[in-house]
Amino acid sequence: MLNIFKKTAIAGAMILSAGAALAEYPEEPIEVIVGYSAGGGTDVMARTAAPFIEKYLGDGASLVVKNMPGASGQIGVTEAANADPDGYTLGTFNLPGMMARTIDREAGYDRDSFTYLANVVNDPNVIVTSKESGLDTLDKLLEEAKANPLAVTVGMSSLGGDDHFALIKLQQATDTEYTIVPFKGSAPARTALLGGHVAMGILNISEVAEFQDQLNVLGVATDERSQFAPDLPTFKEQGLDLVNGSMRGFIAPAGLPEDVQAKLIDAFSQLSDDQEFLDAMAATANPVEVVTGEEFKQLTSDLYDLANGVWQTTPWN
Amino acid sequence: MYSDLLHALPDVFAWTNFAAVVIGVIAGIVVGAMPGLSATMAISVLVPFTFGLEPLVALGLMAGIYNGAMYGGAIPAVLLRIPGTPAAVATTFDGYPMAQKGEGGFALQVAVVSSSIGGIASAFALMLLAPPLSKVTLLFGPSEVFWVAVFGLASIIFLLGGNPIKGLISACFGVFVSVIGSDPIYGNDRFTFGQLELLDGINIVILLVGLYALPPVIDLLETPLKTDGVNSSKLGTEPIWKALPRMNYWKTWLRGSFLGIWIGILPGAGGSMAAFMSYNEARRTSKHPETWGEGEPEGVAAAEVANNADTASALIPALTLGIPGTAVAAVMLGGLLVHGLQPGPMLFRDNPDIVFGFMWQFLFGAILLVLLGGSLATNSFARLLNLPRPLLGSVIIVLMLIGVYSINGRMFDVYLMLGFGAIGWVMDRLKFPLPPVVLGLILGGFAEENLRLALRIGRGDPMVLFQNTTSLILVALTVAVVVGPTLKKRFIDSRKKA
Repeated sequence: MLNIFKKTAIAGAMILSAGAALAEYPEEPIEVIVGYSAGGGTDVMARTAAPFIEKYLGDGASLVVKNMPGASGQIGVTEAANADPDGYTLGTFNLPGMMARTIDREAGYDRDSFTYLANVVNDPNVIVTSKESGLDTLDKLLEEAKANPLAVTVGMSSLGGDDHFALIKLQQATDTEYTIVPFKGSAPARTALLGGHVAMGILNISEVAEFQDQLNVLGVATDERSQFAPDLPTFKEQGLDLVNGSMRGFIAPAGLPEDVQAKLIDAFSQLSDDQEFLDAMAATANPVEVVTGEEFKQLTSDLYDLANGVWQTTPWN
Repeated sequence: MYSDLLHALPDVFAWTNFAAVVIGVIAGIVVGAMPGLSATMAISVLVPFTFGLEPLVALGLMAGIYNGAMYGGAIPAVLLRIPGTPAAVATTFDGYPMAQKGEGGFALQVAVVSSSIGGIASAFALMLLAPPLSKVTLLFGPSEVFWVAVFGLASIIFLLGGNPIKGLISACFGVFVSVIGSDPIYGNDRFTFGQLELLDGINIVILLVGLYALPPVIDLLETPLKTDGVNSSKLGTEPIWKALPRMNYWKTWLRGSFLGIWIGILPGAGGSMAAFMSYNEARRTSKHPETWGEGEPEGVAAAEVANNADTASALIPALTLGIPGTAVAAVMLGGLLVHGLQPGPMLFRDNPDIVFGFMWQFLFGAILLVLLGGSLATNSFARLLNLPRPLLGSVIIVLMLIGVYSINGRMFDVYLMLGFGAIGWVMDRLKFPLPPVVLGLILGGFAEENLRLALRIGRGDPMVLFQNTTSLILVALTVAVVVGPTLKKRFIDSRKKA
């Protein structure tokens, strides 16, 4: 009942304000729905970016982060997809997770449910091995995996996530097979590696940067060396074409007015040149790579196709 | 490293940082004392607000809340047989009988002193032994964690006393509840009936409040004509310095601290398991085990020292490895991340003043507990018992509803809680023990997830579960717990015959 009142009120307010006010967007606080609890990687990204977006939107704009955790981000992103496309509700967006969930379960949204604003974080995958495994180079790892298919155990944070897609790409590129051990989250996977309970792990660069001394980091899945840890070599340097990562960005519901969309995208695109923002993100272990608008949409689409292709041949559940 | 520890000390005494700990402890006690509100919830509500605060103010609040809540949970456990937090379940065993005998005031004092001692021991472990203890955590891979969970479940079923068959049925119910939600490996929905709200599984607080708070409230309301509170007029309060000499539980405190610290550094088990283990051990070694469960103050001491001893030590794996030992530590990890403190070996080198300052705050939080907790509990909360029973019952129901609703802000959880309440009431009447349900939910999920991970590592070969010393020790302990009481009984019987 209350909801109906609320919706009518919002709709009424929108009709009243539609013509004149949109030019002055934003004139009320913008809500950013984060599908995870406060203090997680995605939440920290949203809260770190918020003051900078406020600065670039200007006119005393204000962003309010709202956590709606649950069902690995599904509850929050569904809420954002179904919100009124007036520019006052945005949401965070994770790749490839958000697309993979539309494939491996029934989701309340699809890739056309959103206006793509900007991807902000790209945390590339790394392959690491435990010190005990003795597999301290990529060649040794591949040799072992070829000699004994499925003998190498791979710890990762979940099935159907970026780690898993990186492994599938590795398997396809090198014609090797591994035994997947999907932990609940990357920290337990990393701990199992430190304790030598699994031989190999696929993690993200931000998760291993602090642990370089205790693990063998075999390579980073980027085109060029990551600014986040410039001393770590890429796979490309080692002759292996493997690029993959976990991405986090911002979306709005589909059907956003064009001027609002343009204003938001403009604000997000200025993030990549803001040294203060880059420093704040580096401090919270978020490697920045800003991709906006159409390019972000294309990126999402590509990842969907990849995930869908994988699902058709080797479904992960 | 120890010079870093001292270097961090002056900052801790900056008045804002110190005030944060004081406020945190008081808030924690209040939150812990309310059925349905937990430290996990209080800290997760706090995390977004700490963005604008100085790190040590934010962390001081969290350290205070954590310490305070672990003791606060004992207050309703003693006064009403309603554990305020999951870890306070074992406190009800002897705390409530004490209150019924008119020793509620003393029970609360034992609880606060024991909590404080446990907290202090744990803070020292965190300050001085974090790096070596984190190595212990590394010994525990999936198969070892599986055995820890099995051992915990076996202990609660077979050592708690009473009927092991009923205990087993209760534990099975708890394990069944742990199965609801997404499959831990594949993410398939299990028993969710299409409800998005059930995808993440059932929050322990919902189960705890339903099972533990509703039946006593129904009891309160069933006899509304008895206007007198449980023992309103004879709480038996005396000043804490007079009560102190009566507390001679050094062995229990030492053992409970050790167990709490140890269980804290293992992933997942947490304060409730620590409290149960400590209670069991203290009773087993007691000279007069028959008084336990009838109002033995040492039982309160054993439970409370252990559930506070796991607070700071649960942060050892959280800070060094990024894996929190408890749900509260998981939320606190988020609070650290907000301030740019990345868990890992570099944390201690990169931000020594903040990290070590945080540890000092844990220590002072634990010390403050005695000063603040003692008087707060006996002067204010205990007065609750003077309320007429129908009013008291109604107040608790309102608190329960608000607490459970505020976990995720949805009525679904409230209905779920009421459903568990109905089940809890029936179980209570049929004399099924409730603690195994709580531990079944907490440990069942861990056992399942880690068993499946271990089997994957062994590529399906169950021998992977018996491949190293740590696992074998845990298997031996589990067997001892299961057959031990039977063997002991037979031994005593045969002696009697002879």
